Amino acid sequence: MTEDKILLSLKDVSLKHSSAHVCRNTLGPFSIDIKSNERIAILGPSGAGKSTLLHIMSGLKECTGSMNFLAKSLRQMSVQELSYKRAFLPQQHETAFNLSNELIISLGRVAREHDPELIQIIKESARSARVEHLLDRSYQTLSGGEKARVHLARIFAQLWDQHNGIMLIDEPLAALDPGLQIELLEAILTFCHKRSLTVIAILHDIQQAIEHFERLILIKDGKIMADLPSHPAPQRELEILYEMKLERFTRSGRKDLLIPCNPRRPHTI
Amino acid sequence: MHQSAPLHGYSKFMGNQTILVYAISLIVLIVMALIAVTLGPVEINYLQSLSTDDEMVENYILWQVRLPRILFCIAIGTSLGLAGALTQGLFRNPLADPGLLGVSSGAAAAAAGAIVFSGSWDWAMPEVLRVWILPIAAFCGALSICFLLDRLARWLTPGSVMGLLLTGIAINALVAAFIGLSSYLATDEQLRNLSFWTMGSLAGANWVILSLMMFVLVVAFLCSQKLSLQINALSLGETVAAQVGINLKKLRQRIILMVAFLSACAVAWCGMIGFISLIAPHIARAIVGPDHRQVLPLSMLLGALLLLLADTLARTVAIPAEVPVGIFTALLGAPFFLSLLAKQRKALIQ
Repeated sequence: MTEDKILLSLKDVSLKHSSAHVCRNTLGPFSIDIKSNERIAILGPSGAGKSTLLHIMSGLKECTGSMNFLAKSLRQMSVQELSYKRAFLPQQHETAFNLSNELIISLGRVAREHDPELIQIIKESARSARVEHLLDRSYQTLSGGEKARVHLARIFAQLWDQHNGIMLIDEPLAALDPGLQIELLEAILTFCHKRSLTVIAILHDIQQAIEHFERLILIKDGKIMADLPSHPAPQRELEILYEMKLERFTRSGRKDLLIPCNPRRPHTI
Repeated sequence: MHQSAPLHGYSKFMGNQTILVYAISLIVLIVMALIAVTLGPVEINYLQSLSTDDEMVENYILWQVRLPRILFCIAIGTSLGLAGALTQGLFRNPLADPGLLGVSSGAAAAAAGAIVFSGSWDWAMPEVLRVWILPIAAFCGALSICFLLDRLARWLTPGSVMGLLLTGIAINALVAAFIGLSSYLATDEQLRNLSFWTMGSLAGANWVILSLMMFVLVVAFLCSQKLSLQINALSLGETVAAQVGINLKKLRQRIILMVAFLSACAVAWCGMIGFISLIAPHIARAIVGPDHRQVLPLSMLLGALLLLLADTLARTVAIPAEVPVGIFTALLGAPFFLSLLAKQRKALIQ
């Protein structure tokens, strides 16, 4: 792969000492190269350091090592410049005041000085995130899943007119019911595909990761245990990752299915 | 980079409804001011003072005492309202208030120190400069408390409503000790100045201070309009605000500077006037919703209204004596604060 196609590269990045002190287990150092238009899922048991890795990529934690984004050092870019190309959807959503959903979505584009198509973009991104019927409602009256979708619409708005950016998502589907999970995952992936944006998402569902993402980064005990393509489904690595047995079902014309199986029952690999 | 973030013109609220709200509060304010002018120990009749212009005592009272005072009252109320709305936006906390958090007392402590200790520098200071000792001292006090509070609250109890208020209590106690020390060391005359001044009074109004205050307000208003969208983003949390391209450090510094300056001006020239800066943004939010682009200007208007009301009461309840205005704002504000606490009970108990 040529150098210029690399979108984001981390070299020996680990948390700065002061902030690493808080969490006991050592994290990193992480070294990853991410190309544009990739779909990457981060998997791992809870507490392994998935969110920390995502926070490092989103610049929320101070770190040592070198990070390059769009062939520039991350330290040289201003927050404003970064916000045009990089969006982050955190796991928890809090608002201090009861802002309207329309306003929250518009805040994705707050760093733009001149934004003539704002109204249109708000509407379109709300439609993509399936919240266009909630625009007039106030945020505090929404359910958890609806709140997550409003914030999804916010990052859609943020990257609406961008190419070659990156979208970092921390468990986007946690509070949603199964039908909506698939619908929204599709929405995120088509949104990013159209704009050749890279998606990096932390997921809990192995199957969704294998089915919809082409590259898996497995995090265990604060280190990258493996970084591999999702096809063929890496059963052995996933078993080591989660310390449990998985059962494999082959399906014609579709990717294999990996399902956790009850350890008491005999199983075949 | 961010200073010229524009006002996006998409919100439905910016329509006729909001303009109507502003218009009504402005009209109420003007009418109240016109009524307030006539009230006082010497009654002023508009027709009379217009027809007989030069020799009347009433004329002097109107132009040199009452009118400056009422305008000053409006200016101070405006700055208190804006300071309150900014503080609540900065700390992302509807219970934040420069008074409760100790910013005003910080300004007061520094000013009290200045009243008591500056007496010994009389020989070194020309008369012109002496007027400025109090505001400058108050500004330094307010600024250092603001920075201290911002650091402490975010370090000790990040993101907690309770934590912020408790930090405020601690700072208030610390600052009260300093005020106590100053009054202990004060001479009798300084003590009288000090105690009257800590209760708050608008009697010191004159045209010079008034025009200065107006200038401060216009600058502060323009700055706040530029920041209002960023404050909106801040209320989504620091994580999100940083990700949508807000330079948090710069934004925070700017708001702190403005809050410190506005509260310091109020404290330096009229002493401690509590609760206006808590109540005004709340009423504003109840009327126009939580969007800071509307909350900031409306809390300025409402702050002016509230303080004018309190000051008119303070002047007229016990004619010819004058009750300190701080007493009225506290009478108005304390029950209001308790009702806010009751509303927020759920969030606070957690």
